Amino acid sequence: MADTPVSSTTLCTMTKLLEWLLGVSVIGIAWGLVTFDLLDLHVPSQYKELAWPMPVYLLVVFGCYSLATVGYRVATFNDCEDAARELQTQIKEAKVDLQKLGLKM
Amino acid sequence: MATGADQAVGFGLVGCSLLLFAYYTIWVIVLPFVDSDHVIHGYFLPREYSVILPGVAALILLLCVGTFIGIVTWKNRKPKKID
Repeated sequence: MADTPVSSTTLCTMTKLLEWLLGVSVIGIAWGLVTFDLLDLHVPSQYKELAWPMPVYLLVVFGCYSLATVGYRVATFNDCEDAARELQTQIKEAKVDLQKLGLKM
Repeated sequence: MATGADQAVGFGLVGCSLLLFAYYTIWVIVLPFVDSDHVIHGYFLPREYSVILPGVAALILLLCVGTFIGIVTWKNRKPKKID
């Protein structure tokens, strides 16, 4: 799925993987330029202070989002009373049938 | 709707992650633009810790996952059958 071509009339086939890698490396280079002052851009010190923890910050935000999604789905998962009762009766029927056939429980 | 303990655990997780997100966002994004003699800086550790603490937490998480896998693998080891 990740390797299906995005456009078909270019010199090289740009797959989704290549697209993602390109995007990530562009952002990475921009971050590196700001954090390590590679181009002498005279970025104000506050923006430099803001930029260098960015990769860790994005990871932490992603972790928080995952945790919140899991927690919310756990809290709003519906109990299925009817299905539970039906399953219990089916288990009892199965046990009776198998004991008739000779399986020891 | 899920009942009782499920709801408590679920909404507890949501609340914890919101708190963590708010604290970490203020620490990383808001504080550089606040005057260095403002009161609020006293509630936050020096900036280096905003990278070190998540790194340490990630290492501890990896350690726990690895230990769990190791314990489960050790418990399920069976001696080779002799034919």
